[in-house]
Amino acid sequence: MFSIPWPFPSARSRYRARLSAAALGRARGWALKRQGIDQPLTRLRPGRVYIVPTGVGLVFALMTFAMLLGSMNYNNNLSFLLTFLLAGLGFVAMHQCQRNLVGLEIAFAGVEPVFAGQPARFRIAVTNHSKNARRYIRLNIDSTFSVAEDLAPGESKLFTLPVPTERRGWLALERFGIRTLYPFELFRAWAWLHMDLRGLVYPQPAGHAPLPPPTQTARGHRQHDARGEEDFAGLRRFHVGDSPRHVAWKAYARSGQLLSKRFAGADTSSQWFDIDAVPAPDLEARLSILTRWVLDADRSREDYGLRLGNSRLGPAHGDAHRRRCLEALALYGKDAERG
Amino acid sequence: MARPRGTDGSLLASLPWTLVALAVALVPHVPYLPIWITGAAVCCGAWRYLIERRRRPLPSPWLRAALALVSFLGVLFVYSSISGVGPGSALLAIMASLKLLETRQRRDQFVLLFISIFLVMSSLLREQYLWSLPYLVVSVLMIMTAWLRTSATPQESARDSIRAGSRLVMYAAPVAIAMWVFFPRIATPFWSVPIDTSSGVTGLSETMSPGDISSLSRSDAVAFRVTFADAVPPPQERYWRGIVLTQFNGRSWSGSEPLFGGDRGDVQYLGDPIRYRITLEPTRQQWVFALDMPYGWDLPRTQLVQNQQLARIRPIDQRIAYNVISYVQYRSGRSLRDPFRHWYMHVPPGSNPQTAEFARDLRASVRSDKAYIDAVLRKFHDEPYFYTLEPPPLGSQPVDRFLFDTRRGFCEHYASAFAVLMREAGIPARVVLGYQGGEVNPLGNYMIVRQSDAHAWTEVWLDESGWTRIDPTSAIAPERVEVGGGAGIGAVDSVWGLAGPAALWHRLGLTVDAINARWNDWILGYGPDNQNRFMRWLGMDDPGWRQMLLTLVACVVGLLALISLLLTLRYRPPRKDRAATFYRRFVARTKVAPRVGETPANFAARAAGASEIPAAAIDRVTAAYLDARYGSESDAALGRLAAAVSALR
Repeated sequence: MFSIPWPFPSARSRYRARLSAAALGRARGWALKRQGIDQPLTRLRPGRVYIVPTGVGLVFALMTFAMLLGSMNYNNNLSFLLTFLLAGLGFVAMHQCQRNLVGLEIAFAGVEPVFAGQPARFRIAVTNHSKNARRYIRLNIDSTFSVAEDLAPGESKLFTLPVPTERRGWLALERFGIRTLYPFELFRAWAWLHMDLRGLVYPQPAGHAPLPPPTQTARGHRQHDARGEEDFAGLRRFHVGDSPRHVAWKAYARSGQLLSKRFAGADTSSQWFDIDAVPAPDLEARLSILTRWVLDADRSREDYGLRLGNSRLGPAHGDAHRRRCLEALALYGKDAERG
Repeated sequence: MARPRGTDGSLLASLPWTLVALAVALVPHVPYLPIWITGAAVCCGAWRYLIERRRRPLPSPWLRAALALVSFLGVLFVYSSISGVGPGSALLAIMASLKLLETRQRRDQFVLLFISIFLVMSSLLREQYLWSLPYLVVSVLMIMTAWLRTSATPQESARDSIRAGSRLVMYAAPVAIAMWVFFPRIATPFWSVPIDTSSGVTGLSETMSPGDISSLSRSDAVAFRVTFADAVPPPQERYWRGIVLTQFNGRSWSGSEPLFGGDRGDVQYLGDPIRYRITLEPTRQQWVFALDMPYGWDLPRTQLVQNQQLARIRPIDQRIAYNVISYVQYRSGRSLRDPFRHWYMHVPPGSNPQTAEFARDLRASVRSDKAYIDAVLRKFHDEPYFYTLEPPPLGSQPVDRFLFDTRRGFCEHYASAFAVLMREAGIPARVVLGYQGGEVNPLGNYMIVRQSDAHAWTEVWLDESGWTRIDPTSAIAPERVEVGGGAGIGAVDSVWGLAGPAALWHRLGLTVDAINARWNDWILGYGPDNQNRFMRWLGMDDPGWRQMLLTLVACVVGLLALISLLLTLRYRPPRKDRAATFYRRFVARTKVAPRVGETPANFAARAAGASEIPAAAIDRVTAAYLDARYGSESDAALGRLAAAVSALR
């Protein structure tokens, strides 16, 4: 089919092939050894911004060389000047490209816990402290790139780096890069950052697992009290999700503390989820089912407790309790691991 | 086709810029390109832009293939070759147009920009004028701006790109100039590619048919410029020898191809040499012009060939400069052997019978060849022969008709008629085409020889003096010189004089030409000679290419270090917070160590007791600092802070 040959992809792939994975790995190891582990807030020094010509840059160099030969052949001084102007632009672009990154301040801005299978979104704040705009800045993890952004003088922008997750537990982001092709895409300047970033990954919730009957899970802890919700059983701290009807407004007016009324009947819905009682063969499947139960119980605003071996959580409900439970599930049996 | 053809308008921010860059690169080629190529380029550009605007699919690959085939064949048909600058730039223009039709992503635009650069370069190879330098800068600016637009984020405005592009070009300029100055120039090219075969630049015509063309080119374009080492020769000696025509077919005169490596003829040089330097504009011919008669020259592969014509092996397709030594007094040829004698006497039998009869009669009535020549010249002078640039056409027996009927013509008519009269009378004769005269430009002290100075004269063989130059046109009585309408230039002006605005205009033209000549000499003609001279001026005596390349590298490295510093300054953080600077000075003066996390108010409370500075002053400073830091009128507060801190001593 007709198509004017496009030189770059092949040049690019050859180029990539030459910088094979092994060499790249070694380069990264060398960079890590050189730079050490970075602080969560790091300003890029000139010494750690690396630069190589891109495929476009190589073609540009080739073209400039061809133009030089042509100019020499015709002994044409204006064509010499054009050639040298382009060569000069190449050199200047190299310096400009590197300077586009030097001095940027990079800070870790947190990551929300996710369930295994969902991408963890690491947020990185990049701040331009200089008087000049920074252009076409991208963050990347290996070959996953964020969108390119410009940073006005003094501007700070949040980049999101999605990392795919498979297993529960701590997810480490050992390394990410910041790079730019500005100007002209002739050069690529980049820096590697090793910030020791971690994000929490909850177990993947099981697809469908009906909540166990309360009798089975709450054995020995249930108070058989038939008075139901109407019987006042005391006050406790307010949790997010408690019904406003149950708030002890008079007590609030007196003490300034938000308290919820507890009724004896409320305990009928309190459940205990015990990892040993989960009907599944292996640990991960059990954790998965427990996660599903925690989520379902949380949605139905019931009090629930979680027993994982020796540790107990709850019974309670609300976002904080849910998060504590999910964290415990994520890290169950992983304490030996780093962090 | 695997590649999708749809467009989504994502190129709208960059495509117009690429199109403009391409247009700027294409403009100088337009006069040389067949009109259909320009048309195709404009259509493709507009078409592609509309496709992007309306988010339509790109044309199908079959259509593109068909267009490519048709245009390639078209170029082949027009140029019958694909090498050289002419067909090369035509192909580049077509490639760019077709590439536009398959440009889908920003990276495709790089190809277009690369083509633009090559188009700019080929236009510079074709012609270099004074305005070529600004054109070069503007086109590079446009191309680089378009380049920045291709990878601009939505936050980068077009103005930002223009500014950034100009700044980068500005940084690159000194580097380019250093490289340009120090890059070693070599005299001879590696290989020869024709610059252009289709251009309309005219040198002298290599044949002469008086009567066919009924008006003479009055172009005041510069043929060449001359700088004399010593005195400028007087006007009657300014015969710039070029082409010699020896064959006459009854209607027109023609010469022959230069024969290299042959005998240059037996020329004896007499009198004093004249040294000068010629800068010859491209002629696309092999002939090299020099003052009659050239003795020595420094142009490589150039010889004095048959009939004492100076010719170069390669056509002169670029402006060249060469030094020549000429002798205006010389004797050319010692003897003429019979075969040659007949060659130079040949006139087709039966042509111009009236002239033949007249010549025989006149020759019979005088005693010598010399007397015959004088008689003919006297005839031109005494009888009503007119010099005009717009003579009537002459028909099939042009010499008869000119001599006995119309009697009006310019140099070619007189030279042709004179040579025929000579040949008919048995005197070997030939016609020389070249330039006569030249105007000295007082600004710059050099001579301009223009196309309108083109001239034809004759040389006749006389046994006692060899080939002798006779200029029959000069025999015409001055009162019968008619200048055609609109011919207000060159040598003709010296007859009629100049006055008023015409003189002013002429002066302006001379000024521009003087600048142009300098430009040609120093910028366009910066070759091995000039470079050597410049290096010597810089204090480097006869540097080899090694030393020059080293200097080049040193210059470039130095300049890049400077540019790097400049960039560091551009990207440095804004000046330190001035309020903080003052406040720190105040804290130091209190001699109270601040605590971590202490607010200015807390510090002031603590310092009021511990320091010898009066509490009122501390409060004043603290209030001013807080205002400068957080207040709305921070400038005024900064002034108060500065005053309060200075008052502490």
